[in-house]
Amino acid sequence: MKNIFVIAVLALLFASACAPISTIKKSDAYSGMYAEKPVSILLMPPINRSTNVDAKEYFHSTLSIPLANAGYYVIPTFLSMEILKKESAYDSELFLDAPLAKFGEVFGADLAVFTIIHKWDKSGIAAKVNVEVEYILKSTKTNEILYTRRGEVIYDASISSGGQGLLGAIVDFTASAINTAATKYVDVARACNAYTFKDLPTGIYKLGYGNDGNEIAGLNLYRIQLNKSYR
Amino acid sequence: MNRILLASLGVLLFMGCVPQQTLYSWNNYETTSYNYLKNSDEKSTQELIETYKKIIKKQTGIRKVVPPGVYADYGFLLLQSDMKVEGMAMLQKEIELYPESRIFIERILKILEE
Repeated sequence: MKNIFVIAVLALLFASACAPISTIKKSDAYSGMYAEKPVSILLMPPINRSTNVDAKEYFHSTLSIPLANAGYYVIPTFLSMEILKKESAYDSELFLDAPLAKFGEVFGADLAVFTIIHKWDKSGIAAKVNVEVEYILKSTKTNEILYTRRGEVIYDASISSGGQGLLGAIVDFTASAINTAATKYVDVARACNAYTFKDLPTGIYKLGYGNDGNEIAGLNLYRIQLNKSYR
Repeated sequence: MNRILLASLGVLLFMGCVPQQTLYSWNNYETTSYNYLKNSDEKSTQELIETYKKIIKKQTGIRKVVPPGVYADYGFLLLQSDMKVEGMAMLQKEIELYPESRIFIERILKILEE
């Protein structure tokens, strides 16, 4: 009896420590991803509806890493940006509800990633940033939304990375020596992206590709507190 | 018996939260690419070029290959700096490493050759 209790408590602890509470399988939540098996992803320049003028760049510069690390081919960010500008397609807002076939033709993109920054507020008292961001991954073939999540992230910029021992401290030191004040806010966007795409179905370049459908998907709408140490 | 159970569950709990090794290593890409996006001046361009060089030189990620887009974007910056031959060579490398980039990159190469 005691044993069962211990197991139950530990299991609960285990679940609550890392995963959001959801019971939908990835293969159900993101069935289109498993059916279409997209390989290449085009980053659309983020749509900034917040009052922070730099929010667009904070997000744009931090999108490719979590997507590439998830196993996808991310179409070269700056080269594609240049072409989007030349073709007067730099305003992603225009394509949110438009046919995307052209992006498949020109860039070889299977997916277009739209990012809408709804809110980016700095709290005056604590070193907190409150961000509301929506991610929409659309198929360039069918125009269907294959993956979407919207989150409210409360980011605490005051907590140091901690718990990483001496090496962590050294890394922190060199990072702050090189970087400007913007680094802190780049990290807010990085954490938002990292958290959201944690449940993205595994891409072709990563072990487990096609075999993760039984894993539990994250919540479609979520609210989370993150800080610098979130990876 | 109880102890073994506790220990193994403890390990499981621990494993679940430790960050795992990623597919690629990126050096300080996020910061330097932000600066380049924001400023696009000589200094930020040079810093991003340095980042690309480091990413290409040393990969500590699981795949041990250069991440998607790095050769091509590095090549793009070289082209911007009037290093046409070197830049085009990097675009070719992107195609070799990631064949799915061919549609897009060959289009760029064609424009450059005109």
